[in-house]
Amino acid sequence: MDLENQQRIMDAAGKYGAENVVVVLGSADPEGAGLYAETVTAGDPTFAGPLAGVSLGLPVYHVFEEDIKAEADQGVWGEQIAMMEMVLDTAALAGSVAEMRDQHSKITL
Amino acid sequence: MSKLTGKKLILLGERDGVPSPAMEACFAGSGAEVVFSATQCFV
Repeated sequence: MDLENQQRIMDAAGKYGAENVVVVLGSADPEGAGLYAETVTAGDPTFAGPLAGVSLGLPVYHVFEEDIKAEADQGVWGEQIAMMEMVLDTAALAGSVAEMRDQHSKITL
Repeated sequence: MSKLTGKKLILLGERDGVPSPAMEACFAGSGAEVVFSATQCFV
C-alpha cells in the first residue's frame, strides 16, 4: 500500500477511533487483498510506510463479503459491481481478507 | 438499522477490481460516512 494512503488511514483511525472505522477493499487479487488487510490490522508487512509496526486492528472487509454486500444499494450494485463479481474469484478474495481480520482485527462489525 | 450506520468508511478500491467510486455509490444510503476513498492502479 502506498505511503500516502497508509498515512491517511492512520490519521482517520486516530481522528475517529478504530472502533468507528470500517475499511472496505475492492482489490482484484487475493494476495493483494490480504496484504492490504494485513496493513490496516497488523501493520505494514514491508516496513516501508507509516504503518510499519503499527497494529491498528481495524475491521477490514472485502466488498464481496456477504456482511458488506448486504449493506449495499442493490440497484447500484447491479449496475456497477455485479459484472466484476462474476469475473473475480470472490470466495478467495473474501477468504484472504477474512483470514487477516480473524487474526489481527481488534473489532468486527 | 444498517450495520454500517454511524461508521466512518475507508474505501480502498482497485481499477481492475472494484473502484472506489462504485463502492461510494453503493454505500451512500447505508448511514455511513466515507472519510477516505482511493482507487489503486497497478498498471
